[in-house]
Amino acid sequence: MLQVRNLLVFFENALAINDVSLEVSQGELVAVLGSNSAGKTTLMNTVSGLLLDIQKKEQRRGGERITIMGRVEYEGREIIQQKPSLRVKQGIVLCQERHPVFRDSDVLENLRIAGYLYTRREVKEGIEKVFAIFPVLRRLRKRRAGLLSGGEQQMLAAGIALMARPRLLLMDEPLLGLSPLLQAELAASIKEICRQGITTLVTEQFARPIMPIIDRGYVMENGRLVFSGNREELMDNPEVKSAYLGV
Amino acid sequence: MSTIIYGIITSVILALYAVGFSLTYGISGLANFAHGALYILAGYISWNLMNYLGLPFLASAPLAVVACALVGFIIYWGLLLRVRGIPLSELVVTFAAGVAILELLTWRGFYGISYSLPVFVEGGVEIWGVAVDAQRLLVIAVGVALVVLLYLFVHYTKIGLAFRGMAQNERTALSVGIESDWIGALSLALGSALAGLAAVVVLPLGMMESSVGYEVLIYALAVAIVGGLESTPGMVVASFVIGFGQRITASYIGPKWMIIVPLAAIVLVLAVRPSGLFGKFKELEERV
Ligand SMILES: Nc1ncnc2c1ncn2[C@@H]1O[C@H](COP(=O)(O)OP(=O)(O)O)[C@@H](O)[C@H]1O
Ligand SMILES: [Mg+2]
Repeated sequence: MLQVRNLLVFFENALAINDVSLEVSQGELVAVLGSNSAGKTTLMNTVSGLLLDIQKKEQRRGGERITIMGRVEYEGREIIQQKPSLRVKQGIVLCQERHPVFRDSDVLENLRIAGYLYTRREVKEGIEKVFAIFPVLRRLRKRRAGLLSGGEQQMLAAGIALMARPRLLLMDEPLLGLSPLLQAELAASIKEICRQGITTLVTEQFARPIMPIIDRGYVMENGRLVFSGNREELMDNPEVKSAYLGV
Repeated sequence: MSTIIYGIITSVILALYAVGFSLTYGISGLANFAHGALYILAGYISWNLMNYLGLPFLASAPLAVVACALVGFIIYWGLLLRVRGIPLSELVVTFAAGVAILELLTWRGFYGISYSLPVFVEGGVEIWGVAVDAQRLLVIAVGVALVVLLYLFVHYTKIGLAFRGMAQNERTALSVGIESDWIGALSLALGSALAGLAAVVVLPLGMMESSVGYEVLIYALAVAIVGGLESTPGMVVASFVIGFGQRITASYIGPKWMIIVPLAAIVLVLAVRPSGLFGKFKELEERV
């Protein structure tokens, strides 16, 4: 479904993504593990197209020079030059790190804003689906998003992404900063989302909470993929054990 | 009593001047310094449609509003797109567009007493012993209706919701397929249309000339700065503060000092509370 080939991303002259190639097949739940500033967010932003928008704005401002090279193929088509909205229409949806929601709107309005591309009927159905996966949100639907707890905001952020009807869902550190209990709960929800047929690529700093749900994973260090394998292989790898499982 | 009634009217007029400016800024972070020029352009277009095409005012007024929306849209796609995101350049570009429009109108001879728009409604009424003409009541009605309509628009229509999304978090909006430049252009078109709407209901109360464009811009700026850019309740309160300030100044000091009020308000607010009465420290928030 998604194929990234020899991807390079520079911020000015600093290499943030160094020759990354990875693949995600239809229906898989794949993780990219990496410590802080390994390049996870840059990778997600490149696939979603957000980086292209950031690049354009920096260029207009005469700010930072961002260079993107390599291939990003989605369902066999090269998309590296496509703007984000076009990618969303094809089913690539990013749930950004640190759960950015529409803080002044209530939960329901957040979801309605996120249904921008779809008809009123589809938005209604979408909201029901989100509430089915995250029942807490139904109870909080009239609450202003800015007043939600971190965990609730993360669920809402995932809900926002679901409203855009992803076929490939990109989740950037969805479990960051949550309590272990909430992490387990949210991980289960992500698994459920994937079970409903949404291919998912998820990044995390810490492997432990995400490990139970993934099919495969990559390990990223300083912009490079240094290891790749299925769940068992990841668990058995001594380096992964020490660095990401904290064993 | 008359100070109160006319204070309310003045305040509503100020709110009408400012609403489009504030809306565009709130959605796109774009300060449209052509706002006043678009205002007077609506009067000009409307006047010409009536006097050269013989259209009734009821037809020429909405056409003028639509024309303003188009001009706003064109300013965005034609001029702003290249400098989007650089506040100073945006300011220069919109101000230049505004000056170009105003100078064009002046060159076409659009000043003096020969130009005025007819009122929509004739006659007047007496409220608590104060005579008020019907057009001024219409202004208030339009102001109130606008608040309601805009509220419904931004909360219940697709574009309105996209506006709200873009205003709150551009990247999240982008992530669900909302396009920032399209929304930016629409927000400027809407703001410009509101400048036009203000023009066709307020201009019949007085003379039309191109210099009014600068005045309207100053008022819109004053309201936006005092109320805190991007805050809707702030905008309403600021309109009333400045509106009543002006009425009181006119009654007790003299009408020619009225224009001092918005300028003094700008200086005062910038010195004491730069984010405005209701403003959030948005920049600070974004930096962390
Ligand atoms: N806008 C930017 N400008 C300059 N450097 C950046 C920018 N964004 C990220 N980087 C750099 O790219 C590298 C990867 O960052 P990032 O993708 O955010 O990592 P992660 O998400 O894994 O923490 C880091 O060294 C970071 O400093
Ligand atoms: Mg990151």
